[in-house]
Amino acid sequence: MRGASGAARRWMNHGATGVITVGGWATIVSVLGIFVYLLMETAPLFEAASWSKAASVDVDAGERDGVHPRHVGVGIDDSMTVGHVLRRGDVAFYALPSGDRIRPDAVPVFAPGRITAVARSPAGAHRYGLGTVDGRVIPLRVRYRVTFGENGRNVTPVVTAGEPVAAVPAAGASVSTAGAAVPTAGASVSAAGAAVPAVGAAMSAAGAAVPAAGAVARLAFLDGDDGTTVAALTASGRLFLTKVEETESLLTGERARDVRRVEITGARVGTLSALLLDGAGDTLVGGTADGRLLHWDIREAQRPRLMGTYDAGAPVTALAYLIGDRSLVVGARDGTVAVWLSMTDPGAGGDPRLQKVRDFAPHTGAVTAVSPSLRDKGFLTADAAGGVAVHYSTSHRTLFTIPGDGAPVLAAMLAPKTDGAVVFRDDGRLAVFDVENDHPEVTLSSLFMPVLYEGYDVPKAMWQSTGGSDAFEPKFGLWPLMFGTLKGTMYAMLLAAPIAVLGAIYTAMFMRPAVRAVIKPVVETMAAFPTVILGFLAGLWLAPLLETIFPAVVAVFLVLPPVVVSACVGWHYLPSRFNLPSGTVTELVACMVVLGGTVWVCVQGNQQIEAWLFDSNYRQWMLSTFGLEYDQRNALVIAFAMGMAVIPVIFSISEDALSNVPRHLIAGSLALGATPWQTLTKLVMVSASPGVFSALMIGLGRVVGETMIVLMATGNTPLLEMNLLNGFRTLSANIAVEMPEAPQGGTLYRLLFLAGLMLFVFTFLVNTVADVVRQRLRVRYGQF
Amino acid sequence: MPGRIRKFFASGTLFVWFCGTAVAASLLMVGGVLALIMINGLGFFWPHALLELHLTDGTRVLGELKNEEVIPHSATPAAPEGRTRVRMKIGNRDLYGLDFRWIDRARIASVSTPPAVVAVERREWGNFYGRIRRVERGGRVAASGNDEGWRALQPLIARVNALHDDAARLQRDVIGGINYDLEDARLAIRKLELAGRGGGREAAALQASRQQLERRYQEQVDALRALSDQLDDDAVVLADADGRELRLPVGQIVRARRPNAMNVWDKLLAYAVNFHAVLSEEPREANTEGGIFPALFGTVMMVLLMSVAVAPFGVLAAFYLREYARQGPVVRMVRVAVNNLAGVPSIVFGVFGLGFFVYTVGGTIDELLYAEALPAPTFGTGGILWASLTLALMTVPVVIVATEEGLAAVPREYREGALALGATKLESMIRVILPCALPGVLTGLILAVARATGEVAPLMLTGVVKLAPALPVDGHFPFLHLERKFMHLGFHIFDMGFQSPNVEAAKPMVYVTALILIVVVIALNLSAIALRNHMRKRFRPSAV
Repeated sequence: MRGASGAARRWMNHGATGVITVGGWATIVSVLGIFVYLLMETAPLFEAASWSKAASVDVDAGERDGVHPRHVGVGIDDSMTVGHVLRRGDVAFYALPSGDRIRPDAVPVFAPGRITAVARSPAGAHRYGLGTVDGRVIPLRVRYRVTFGENGRNVTPVVTAGEPVAAVPAAGASVSTAGAAVPTAGASVSAAGAAVPAVGAAMSAAGAAVPAAGAVARLAFLDGDDGTTVAALTASGRLFLTKVEETESLLTGERARDVRRVEITGARVGTLSALLLDGAGDTLVGGTADGRLLHWDIREAQRPRLMGTYDAGAPVTALAYLIGDRSLVVGARDGTVAVWLSMTDPGAGGDPRLQKVRDFAPHTGAVTAVSPSLRDKGFLTADAAGGVAVHYSTSHRTLFTIPGDGAPVLAAMLAPKTDGAVVFRDDGRLAVFDVENDHPEVTLSSLFMPVLYEGYDVPKAMWQSTGGSDAFEPKFGLWPLMFGTLKGTMYAMLLAAPIAVLGAIYTAMFMRPAVRAVIKPVVETMAAFPTVILGFLAGLWLAPLLETIFPAVVAVFLVLPPVVVSACVGWHYLPSRFNLPSGTVTELVACMVVLGGTVWVCVQGNQQIEAWLFDSNYRQWMLSTFGLEYDQRNALVIAFAMGMAVIPVIFSISEDALSNVPRHLIAGSLALGATPWQTLTKLVMVSASPGVFSALMIGLGRVVGETMIVLMATGNTPLLEMNLLNGFRTLSANIAVEMPEAPQGGTLYRLLFLAGLMLFVFTFLVNTVADVVRQRLRVRYGQF
Repeated sequence: MPGRIRKFFASGTLFVWFCGTAVAASLLMVGGVLALIMINGLGFFWPHALLELHLTDGTRVLGELKNEEVIPHSATPAAPEGRTRVRMKIGNRDLYGLDFRWIDRARIASVSTPPAVVAVERREWGNFYGRIRRVERGGRVAASGNDEGWRALQPLIARVNALHDDAARLQRDVIGGINYDLEDARLAIRKLELAGRGGGREAAALQASRQQLERRYQEQVDALRALSDQLDDDAVVLADADGRELRLPVGQIVRARRPNAMNVWDKLLAYAVNFHAVLSEEPREANTEGGIFPALFGTVMMVLLMSVAVAPFGVLAAFYLREYARQGPVVRMVRVAVNNLAGVPSIVFGVFGLGFFVYTVGGTIDELLYAEALPAPTFGTGGILWASLTLALMTVPVVIVATEEGLAAVPREYREGALALGATKLESMIRVILPCALPGVLTGLILAVARATGEVAPLMLTGVVKLAPALPVDGHFPFLHLERKFMHLGFHIFDMGFQSPNVEAAKPMVYVTALILIVVVIALNLSAIALRNHMRKRFRPSAV
């Protein structure tokens, strides 16, 4: 710069001003941008789901006969590039979104008109059972084989048909002697036979001859890995349950087929309008035309047992289990959609019972199809007016509704990745929708209010983000984590606040300046301890130690106040030549001796104390007296460790506030004859209280967000107990535990961002309050 | 009398005592924690005496005495009051399965410290305590007996340590270098493929060089194997206190000592050797033994990178806020907000760092510049750069606040004087204000470094690992590998203490690591305090 011309200097000056301004603002904006970014990452959680029409295929083009069979299945592959329609026993594949017909090598075709019912198996994505007019059920599997070739991903559909299962006795449906497999062919059969006229009507519409009484009219089908289970209701109103177990002999490799068939009888069997098997083949659920739900235990193939009959409110038209087989979706003719939970009484044991727990937004027409998601607790419902809706059970949300145009929906499926849906309507068109539905399991109320989860009989606030299988219902309740945060904060502050504030008072008011110049930095050094060290000491040293000397610790808290009082009195009445003025090192050392001595004596007498106070076994005593369990890593350990972390913060700021009270005010007070004690309580504490308050706030902010100590010294179990002697999980520790495993952009990932945002907002507000209070204090002191 | 009591209470002396007790409690806590870490950490390096306990059942136990305690009620309800037990570190994990053993005092018949017992530090299975039976060279007995064996062992240990050094150098520098070049070649070929020139002459040349590299790699691996084979040439047969024998290849030995035969000077020397070893060696046995060099290096490296990022931006922002911006409500609000960011929990910065730096920025960089390596992420995963930037963001408020304080302490007259003498604003800033405010800037920087050094939570999300395969700095171009994951002292503590399979055996190392970390952090803090005091003295109003 030396020797530069005036213009160059001016130019450089302007340039530097620009650089500093831009750099300064860039730094500030990027620092403040954290908040914006956290908000941006969190916001999609609360965005509504949306849908758009992706394709529409005219399935009937070229073979239009104006009559649609009512027994249809539709499906779509994982990547939503190939869809299929199953009807008249023929599977047709369509490339999407173009709608071009794909013809795989071999597709089994059954004579049109012979198929009288189609049911989708709950196990596997595209497994169907086709019920025939002669009382058999044909297993059909559709697979999408994915290969990667020159032009990227290729999806090739493959269809295979299994060996038909005779679901209805071949001797003829009207004959009651159905063989030994039907031990109780009831007399109710003929009485109920007339109760299903609608089925017969549908059959004739399908172009078949008037169906035989043994035709399959309603079907539930399970194509599991170790066998097939079929529940078939015949046109004449008889219900047969068939279990086929295939076993392979280890020695000969021969496949043996064990078929067991039994007729299920009962007063309402003839009125059944919907049937459903679970994925394990353990239970059968039936919905009747008069609005009942029947729940059978079919674990013993020969002895199906009715476990309960429930009032569904309206004629049941569609049933489906959500993944995991605990939540039952019931669709009714009046358009209502409800989720029932299968509950087991913890006390009574015995049979599970069904209970209606959630109603969803009703359809305008009868519910014709329910399609559960293959990966979460969502499901799709469709109605006779053509409307389609997607719901989510846990969060009790109807995500969106797609209005219909009057043509009834015959079949529908939620895409395997829940990012789309295929719907086949009575107008012969296959409609494909794209669905934007990333976070269906989250609503404000499901985050912060108790939710009735599968497997529980009362609503609970729980955090359990991941489980062993797809069927696991994630429990995203933030309340236990917030509770844990509050619990840790409360106990830490209960310990730290008095020590820090009292210590600050002593240091600011009673200590000699020379002593203070040493003590203050020493305590502040504590603030520099990395919390990972405090956490490690708390977890590995303090927690086991506290476990052994817990009675001594209790005794210290009980004994310390009287000991300090007597020590003080004793000191006061010492002969005056020993009686030193307050605030000296001697007094401090005396305090340390009193405190250290008390602790030492209590620890030495730990066993005696345990014998006196806790009947020689404090764990047993705590459990029997208060019902409290003692965990090794508990809130008491946290209180000490977080106290260590936060005492210096509170101490330092409140000491500043106290010692900044103008000296002339104190001098004036003392000069007017007030004792130091009066000066403290009437003057110093009053004028410095905002400063102390702000110190406590800042300490609070630090405790709330502390991560490493909590992570290392609590059990990290999200409990909801205020018990001092067990663990908890805080928002911050939860982030540290779960963030590394959370897939980017997923619900858990965004929820952890939400937890981060909550910590950010809370600490920011607390610190701002503290800051404002301190600013005002500074202004007030300026006035003196 | 009641009057005196009332007066006594009214005087507040009692309250003063409670306040004093609070200070005493704080001091005891600081002192206790420091003492705990110092004793455990510093004691780790000391070659402890080996005690041989002769038990009443005729067996013998050899090891280091760890501690003694009264047997708790819960352990033995039937035992009479006040009996004690001792905890011995018995080593020999491969023989006994555990490192520590509790022995009731009552079962000990006598205690001796035999001078001839050796403590062998091994590369696997922890320490061995016992006596030397014989030393074998190439299958033949070269020396037998404890003393003769001890003398014969010394040169052998020196030899294997030299071999180990050679092997490590070969592995790290030569083979590591070839690996690096191989990976480069693979990525270059992939890049050409992506650009649609996979079949060209360029690609063929690369393929050829790759094959050559692979040949060289094989040669070097063979050389390494030859070296490793030499490690097993010699062996020593050791016996534990009860005479159970163990044949140990000398290649397994790091160092052997006879602590009971050492005098104070020997022990001090051993202390220094141990200390140096911990600071300079790589960790062994899932981090529970060996050294902490990579963690120390990673910590320093990360803090340096962070300082490079935080210093200019923090200073720019502070200069802007204090010297350039028009002081008004907006600047005041910005200042409050920046101050308060210092109180936002570190884990929140970690979350931000993971989402923004790693996934958003890193993911974009990968797509644009490192597409050939995908789907393996280069910058799209945690690394030292992202960890440093995250900590820089976390500590920038500290630097801003301290620099502003420093600027505020510069007397107004200095600015006015400089401007009055004809300096431009920039010149007055650089020549006058910045030198005066420098202690403030440095204080801020040191405080930022101190905070960053001890912080672990954000690192866990942005790139720290328990065992990094390579340091972020090495001999391969571009020498500084910002995308690499790194080790860190604080995370080392967390990992050893809470994720190690053998926490009890890891404890000494945890204390040592904690000691080193705390010494670094406290030294940084004390220097910040000293600088601050210096600054205050310099600009006291009377000095103007």
